[in-house]
Formats: sequence, C-alpha cells, structure tokens
Amino acid sequence: MAQPIVSVTDLSHVYMEGTPLAHQALYNVSLQVAEGECVAIIGHTGSGKSTLIQHFNGLMRPQTGKVVVNGYDVSDPKVDVKSLRRQVGLVFQNPEDQIFEKLIGDDIAYGPFKMGLPLEEVRERVEWAMELVGLSFEEMKDRPTYALSGGQKRKVALAGVLALKPKVLVLDEPTAGLDPRSRQELLERILHLNKKEGLTVIFVSHNMDEVARLAERVFVMANGRIACEGTPREIFGNREILREHHIGTPESVDILYKLHDQGYKVDLSAYLPEETAAEILKLLRG
Amino acid sequence: MSAEFELSRNITIGQYLPTGSVIHRLDPRFKLASFAILILAIAICGTYVGNLFALAVCIAMFSVSRIPLHYGLSGIKPAIPFIIILALLQLLFYGEIAEGGTVYFEWGFIKISSESIRLVLVSAMRFVEVIFLSSVLTLSTSTTELTHGMERLLGPLEKIRFPVHAFSLIITIAIRFVPTFAMEMEKMMKAQASRGAEFGTGEWWRIVRRTKDMLPIIIPLFNVALSRAEDLILAMETRCYTPGSARTRYTHYKAKGRDYLALAISIALAAAVLAIPW
Repeated sequence: MAQPIVSVTDLSHVYMEGTPLAHQALYNVSLQVAEGECVAIIGHTGSGKSTLIQHFNGLMRPQTGKVVVNGYDVSDPKVDVKSLRRQVGLVFQNPEDQIFEKLIGDDIAYGPFKMGLPLEEVRERVEWAMELVGLSFEEMKDRPTYALSGGQKRKVALAGVLALKPKVLVLDEPTAGLDPRSRQELLERILHLNKKEGLTVIFVSHNMDEVARLAERVFVMANGRIACEGTPREIFGNREILREHHIGTPESVDILYKLHDQGYKVDLSAYLPEETAAEILKLLRG
Repeated sequence: MSAEFELSRNITIGQYLPTGSVIHRLDPRFKLASFAILILAIAICGTYVGNLFALAVCIAMFSVSRIPLHYGLSGIKPAIPFIIILALLQLLFYGEIAEGGTVYFEWGFIKISSESIRLVLVSAMRFVEVIFLSSVLTLSTSTTELTHGMERLLGPLEKIRFPVHAFSLIITIAIRFVPTFAMEMEKMMKAQASRGAEFGTGEWWRIVRRTKDMLPIIIPLFNVALSRAEDLILAMETRCYTPGSARTRYTHYKAKGRDYLALAISIALAAAVLAIPW
C-alpha cells in the first residue's frame, strides 16, 4: 500500500468512563487509509463509526491507542489541533444545520477567515470551493442561505469545509435525506474530488449502492470493532460476510444473487451496475 | 482535553441514574413532597449546626440512593461563581442591616459582624445542600415520574382555575429537551470546530469577541429548536392533543407503607434541622 495518510492503531474509546453509565464504543480498532484512496466505513447504528471518525480531526483524542493523520499524532496533547483540522475536513450528518451566515458566500468564507487568510485568498478559496460543489460563485455568493433547497444547503455546507483545502475529507452519511437527483449529483462531486482533486475520502454510509459506486475499500464495523475489510468486490462477493454482519447489498448484487439462486451461472464477484448488466446480457445471449 | 465537547454527557439536569435504590422506587408524589419539605427546612434554617446536620443528611442521601457523590459535586461546580458573588455581596452589605452580633470591622458603610459572617457561611451551605438534594431527586427520578408527581401534587390548584396540566406539560417538554439540545449543541460545536471555530479561547475581558465566537452555534441552535418545536406540535396534534380538554391518565400511583415512612422521616429531619438552636 502507498504511504498511509490516516493510520489508526489499537484505538479504544469508553464513553463516560468511571461512571455507572460507562459504554465502550471502540475496541482496539486499527485501520489504514492510503493517500488518495476513497474508503467507506459501513456498519449498523451504534457500531462506533461516528466515534471513530471524530478521532481523525482531533475532536476526540485517543484514550488508548494511536491515531496519526498526515503526520499529526492526535494522541499527543500538544499537537496543533487547529492545523490538523485544516488537513482533515469533517462533514457531519445533515451539515446544512451548521449554516449560520445570512449569505452563502459569507458562510463558506467562515473557515478561511478563521484561518486568518487575507481577503483576496479567502475570496479565491470560496470561489474554488463553490465551483467544486457545483454552485456558481458569481450567481450564488450573495444569495441568502435560508432560501436554498435541502440539496443546495448541503452543497454550501460541503463547500464550507472544502474551503479549508483539506487533504482528507471525512463525510458522515453525506447523502442521507437528499432526493435522488441531489444524491446523484453529490456523489459525482465527491467522486470528482477524489479522482481529480486527489483528496483522500473517507465516508460513512448505509447506502450500499453508494458504497459500491464510490469506495475502493470497505471497512465493516460491528460492536466497536472492525469486523472485516476488503474491496467492494471481496465484500459484496462473499455471502458469508454479508450474512454474518447483516450487510445489505447494492441492487446490482441483489440481482446476481437472485439469478444465482435460480440456478443461472453468473459471476458473483461482479458488483458494479455495468458488470451486472454485462452478466445479464451474457445470459440472454446464451 | 478529550472531554472538550462532551457536553451532553456532562449535563446532570434531566439525567436519570437508575440504580434501583429505595429512593428510586418511592412514589414520586411522596418523594417530591418529602424533598420539598427538606428544602423548605433548609431555606428557613439559619444556624451553623442545623446546616451541618442538613449537609450530613444530604450526603447520606447519596449513599442511600447509591448515586456516586461526584454527581452532586459536579452540580456544584457551575454554581461556584454565584456562591462567591452572593457571599461577597452579603459580606459587604448585610452587616448594615443585621442587628446584634459583634462587629469585627467597620469602614464607611461596610460593616462586617458575626451576623454577616454567619449569613455568608450559612447561605453557602444552603446552596450546596439544595444542589445536593435536587441532584439526588433528579438523578433518582425519571422526568416522566417527576412531572406526573408534580401534576398530582398541584392537582388541587385546578379548583382555582390554575392550568395544572398545561403547566406540567410545559415543564415536561422543557426538561425533556435539555439533553436533546445539549446533543444538538455538541454536534454544532464539533461541526464548527471542524471548520476552524474556537470557543472560549479569547481573553475573558474581550466579551464582544467571545460572544461573536458563540454565534455560529447559537444561530443554528435556534433554527434547530424552532423546527423541532414545529415537529413536536405536529406529532402532538396528529395524536389528537387538544389544549385544555379533559384527559385520562395512563399511570396510576398507589402509595405504599414505605412512601408514608419516607414522608415521616423527612418531616422528622426537617423538624430536627429547624429545632437545633445553634
């Protein structure tokens, strides 16, 4: 693997340690993400995904274990958290809630201003970030934030994080609650960020179609542990893993399994819609 | 440091710690009445020994309810500035009004006497006692029980047209949403910190700057609160909630021997606190 940009070793976390309500969220989690990779973290509610990703930009510090992100040791109490958070952009669930400025441009400029950048550069970054998420800078920067649709608000929130020019982008269920069209568009934007801008992308998702489409590698979390990891091909092609961890399958994989159960000969390691289509064509043509 | 954003987990109000102790199992009406009597006695009692005794009772309460004492102590922490300011004001200005006692120090209108010192110490103790008692009460009683108990206790006021039900509903909703908003606020702080916001790092005298630092949290929080309120209204109306209409109740309380005993013990303790003459 190329040089890891995110490296987690034996990370454990206990909420409310030392009280009767103590709850262990992470048990000896280890994972590595290479620079430029796009990885998905999947798992059920309460499996520790959110706790894990909050360690990436120092919102949480390791209680035990080690987290190193782009050379920053998050467990070091003296680490420069501000600078770490510029390297790792974390986009929470429903990020549109965090918009607070009246105008779109001002809200996106909040992060760069907080970095103490000169006005010219802030402007440049806002323009860059807005174009990346597909909002026209000239047209949209002076529009009020409250008049936006849900999908557009989410783009504004994403641009607000991108304006920090992070190296790693961490997204917690980026498309939850969006309509199909906005979902589609946002996924394309994220893919573009990963492939064209070279950002390392780590995203949490419950939507397996999304995982199949974006991820190069998948981490499956269960009960605070990494239950297994692999490429989508390995994960979706392995029925035991899917069954054991109650992982849903993308529709493209569903179809293949159904055909397989009916006795048709199909390649179960296929998982992309195009591959599935090819398999079906093969069957039809005999 | 790692607990920097752990807001919702540190808020003790509305937090329920189910240890299953005898105090937890009391009938909420009797529990509320008992605690009210004790708090009343503490509010009246102005003696050193009486307050020390009350303090001992409060601490004993923690062990009976099997709640770790540090829960009570963490409740005191935010109150310390108030206690200090109150103590200062009392120390400076009460001597003038108080009668009797030996005067230790006099300068202009400032007069420090044994009476003003007594007031300072006693009210600090009172503060701590009341915080302890209310911590035990809220930690040992779920909010539903608490509001049910209150509604029943206030029941007789309905005769004088006091809107008991509406009142207890307001309290229920207010308490119910404290942890929710703490969670929202935590999320908001984390989200803004991820974009470079800093909280409470400016010098304390730069009040304007520090207030401005809070805007990225306060504004979204208001937004969320308003939309949640709307959702709540819809949820209640779809379940046919009509303000002011008569309602039947799902829970019925029946007092047992231990409830009467608890009430009797509280009355005895309150009497003891008040009867101690020094």
